Amino acid sequence: MSNWNLDDLSEWDDKICNLAEKYGLDWHKINYEVCDYYEMIGHMSYHGVPSHYNHWSYGKSFERTHQLYNAGVEGLPYELIINSDPSIAYLMKENPFYLQILIMAHCVGHSDFFKNNRAFKNTRPDIIVSRFRNAKKRIQGYIENPNIGIDYVETFLDALHTVRFQTERNNIRRLSKKEIEQKYVNIINNDKTEKYKNFDIDKDLLEPDYDLLGFLIEHGTHFKDWQIDILNIVRDESHYFMPQIKTKIMNEGWACFWHYKLLNELNLPQSCHIPFLKSHNQVVRPHLGKINPYHLGFFLFKKLEKDLGIDECFFIREIHEDESFIRCYLDLDACRDLNLFTYSTKKTGITIDDVSDEESWISVRDGLIKNIGLNSIPRVFVSDISTSGDLILEHDHDGRDLELDYAEEVVRKIQTIWPKDVKFFTIIEEEPWEI
Amino acid sequence: MSIFRNHKTSADRSATDRSRHKKKIRDAIKEGIHDIVSDESIIGQDGKKRIKIPVRGIKEYRFVYGNNEKNKSAGSAPGKNIRKGQKIGSGKKKEKDGDGKAGNKEGEEIYEVEITLEELSYYLFDNLNLPELEKKKFKDMVGDKIKRKGYRSKGIRPRLSKKETLKNKIRRKKATAYTGSLDRNKDERFPFHKNDLKYRHIDVKPKENSNAVIFFVMDTSGSMTKEKKFMARSFFFLLYHFLRHKYENVEIVFISHTISAKEVSENDFFKRASSGGTLLSSGIEKCLDISKKRYHPDAWNIYTFHCSDGDNWPEDNAKSIDLSHTLKSICQLYCYIQIVPETDRIAWTEGGMATVYSELEDAKFRIVNLESPDDIWPQFKKIFGGKQ
Repeated sequence: MSNWNLDDLSEWDDKICNLAEKYGLDWHKINYEVCDYYEMIGHMSYHGVPSHYNHWSYGKSFERTHQLYNAGVEGLPYELIINSDPSIAYLMKENPFYLQILIMAHCVGHSDFFKNNRAFKNTRPDIIVSRFRNAKKRIQGYIENPNIGIDYVETFLDALHTVRFQTERNNIRRLSKKEIEQKYVNIINNDKTEKYKNFDIDKDLLEPDYDLLGFLIEHGTHFKDWQIDILNIVRDESHYFMPQIKTKIMNEGWACFWHYKLLNELNLPQSCHIPFLKSHNQVVRPHLGKINPYHLGFFLFKKLEKDLGIDECFFIREIHEDESFIRCYLDLDACRDLNLFTYSTKKTGITIDDVSDEESWISVRDGLIKNIGLNSIPRVFVSDISTSGDLILEHDHDGRDLELDYAEEVVRKIQTIWPKDVKFFTIIEEEPWEI
Repeated sequence: MSIFRNHKTSADRSATDRSRHKKKIRDAIKEGIHDIVSDESIIGQDGKKRIKIPVRGIKEYRFVYGNNEKNKSAGSAPGKNIRKGQKIGSGKKKEKDGDGKAGNKEGEEIYEVEITLEELSYYLFDNLNLPELEKKKFKDMVGDKIKRKGYRSKGIRPRLSKKETLKNKIRRKKATAYTGSLDRNKDERFPFHKNDLKYRHIDVKPKENSNAVIFFVMDTSGSMTKEKKFMARSFFFLLYHFLRHKYENVEIVFISHTISAKEVSENDFFKRASSGGTLLSSGIEKCLDISKKRYHPDAWNIYTFHCSDGDNWPEDNAKSIDLSHTLKSICQLYCYIQIVPETDRIAWTEGGMATVYSELEDAKFRIVNLESPDDIWPQFKKIFGGKQ
C-alpha cells in the first residue's frame, strides 16, 4: 500500500461528503472496496458487478485489459462504480493518495447521478447485486447440469449476446399479446377511415416488434425452460445497463464537474493539489478527432453553471439523457469552442464533412447525436413471422448502412436458436438487401 | 460516511472465462493452422524451434454500422484549423491496422501465439491416425523401453546423480548450521555423507517397437519445376512431422532419381537442380535395395512416399508396377504422389503414372494428386483418416 491507509481515506471521505451535502448532492451510500490492480481488471471485465454469470467474452475482456495494462498502453480507469444501493466502488491499492480523494469525489457525483437521473428510475438498484448473483447461480446450474452442459449454454449465450441490445430501449413495459390484440380491436372498432378494413386480427404478429429478446421469449415456443431463463437474464441485464449507455456524457460530465468543484474547495495539501490538477486535466482533455465524453460533459456542465446557475444544473441532471442534453445545450458557441466536426470515409480517404460554422453546426451536432449512446447501435426489429414460422428481421435503416459481414455473422448466430429460417432485410447503397 | 474495507480476495474471478477463451483461441489455431503449413519459413525447421503464428481474435459479432460515406462520425479538434473537405486520413491505413472507425467497429485483434513445431504437430495431427492395419503389425513387435523414474538412495556407481547428491549435502549443511552445530562463518570442511548419495533410478518397460523409416523418393527429372518441388517438399514436411509425432524413432532416407537413383542428403534432395529423363523404377529399386541392407521389414515400419510429376518413360511402366508390388508388400504404407499444377495439365494427357498405378491402389497403396498448394492438407488428411 502507498502512503495512506483506510483511516486516511475515511477522514477525507467525511470532508467530501459534508461539502457535497452542503451543495445538495443526494447519493446512495457508497461502499468502497480497496483492491489491487489484478482484482480491479477482474471486476472491470464484468462491468464492476460483484458477481456475474460466466462467459468466455469476459475472459477475453480481461486478457485484453491485462495485456494493455502490462504494455503500459492504458492506465486503468480511475474509478469503477456501479449503479446499486448502496453504490459499490473500487479503489485500486496502487493509486496514490491524492488520486483516491479525486476518485471518491468523482464517485459521489456518479452515485448522485444514478440516484436522481430519470433514466435510472426502473433499474432497482437496491436489489441489483442479488439479481446478478442469482442469475449467475442459475446459469452455473445449467452449466453443471449433465443434461445441458457448458457447450450448450455457451453457444446459446453467444447467440444472445449478438443481439443483447435489440430490446426495448426505454424500458417501457412490454405489452402482452392480449393487450396488443385489444389495442387493435379498439382501433378497428373506432376506424372511420376504413384503413383497417382488411386487417387480419388473427395474425401471429400484429405489429413490428422492436424488442427482439422479448419476442423470442414470447414466441419461441421451442425454447426449453433454461433457455427462456437465460433470455430473461440477458434482457434484464441490457435494461440495467442501457441507462448508463444513454447517459455516458452527462454522467461522466457530472462526476467530473463535482470532483473538480469539491476538490478545489477542500483545501488539499499542496503536495496533492498539483497532481490533482494534472490528473483532472488528463481525464477531461479532448481527444483529437474523437469525442471524449468526460471532456464534453464537463465542458457543458461548466458552461451551464456559468450561464444558467447551479440549480438549473441539478434540474438538468435529473431530466435529461445525452441525446436531449446535447440537443438542448450544445449551441453554436459550444460547438465552436470544442471545434467539433464530422467526418466520413470516402473512396479517396477520410474527409471532413462539416465544421462548426454558422451554416453547418446543426448538422455537426446532429452527426454527433447519431453517434452517442444507443444511437450508435443499429436497430433491428421483427417485422413478421411467416406462416411456415420463418423469422423475418428488418433493419430500421436511418441512412447509415450496416457492416455486412458483421450482420451476416449475427444472422447466422440467430439461425442457431431459431428452428425455421431466419431472414434479414436491410438497405445497402440505396438497394434492398437480403441475408 | 462511506464504508471502506479491504477487498476480500476471492478466487481469481475471471479464471474460468479466461480458460474458455483460451480454448476458443486454440480451436481457432487448429482451424487456421493449415494455411501456414505450406509456408516456406517453417519447413525444414527442427522440432524445438518456436514459430509465431498470428491468430485472429475471437470476435463478438453484433449489428454495427459500416465504414462508409453515409456513416458520419463526430470528433473534436481543439486549437486546430480545420475546414470542410479536408482530408484527415487515408482510410486505407485504418483498414490495414485493423482499426475500424473509431468507436464503431471493434478493431481486429491479432493474438500472436508462439508454439513449437512439436505443438504444431499436435494440433495438426491429433485427430489423424495411421491406417488401422499398421497398428496390428507393430503391436507384435516388442522391445524394451528404458525410462528414468526418480531417484533412489541405493544404486550402482555409474548412475550416481551428482546434482541430487550435492543438493542433499547443501540441505544437510544448512540444517546443521541452523541447529547451531556448525559455524556458518568459519570455513569448515563439510564432507559428503553416505546418506547424501542419490542414484538415478530406471524402469524397464516392454514397449511396442516403434521404429519407422521413411523413404522419400523424388523424381528430379527436368520436368520437375521449382513449383512442383516446393509442393513435394511441403508434403514431405508434413509427413515427416506426422510420423515423428506417432513414432519414437524415425529415420529418413532421401532418394532422388532421374533415370538412375541415388541416396542423397536432405539438402541435396530439395535443392539439387533437375535435369534428365525419368525412370520411376530406378527409385523403387533403390528403396528395395536399401531396405534389404539396412531396414528389415520385420524390425522396421517402412513408409515410402514417391513424388513425381507423372511423366515416365512408357517402356518403364511395366517394370515400375512389378517392383511396386514387391515394395508394397514390405511397406506399411506406400504412397505415390503425383504433382501436376493446373497450368501444366495439357503437357500430357492420360493422367500419367497415377493412371498406370491405379490397379495397385488399396489401403496400403495410395495415390495422391496435388494440383496446387491448397490440396496438400486435404489430401494429407484423406490418407490419414481425417474426416474430410
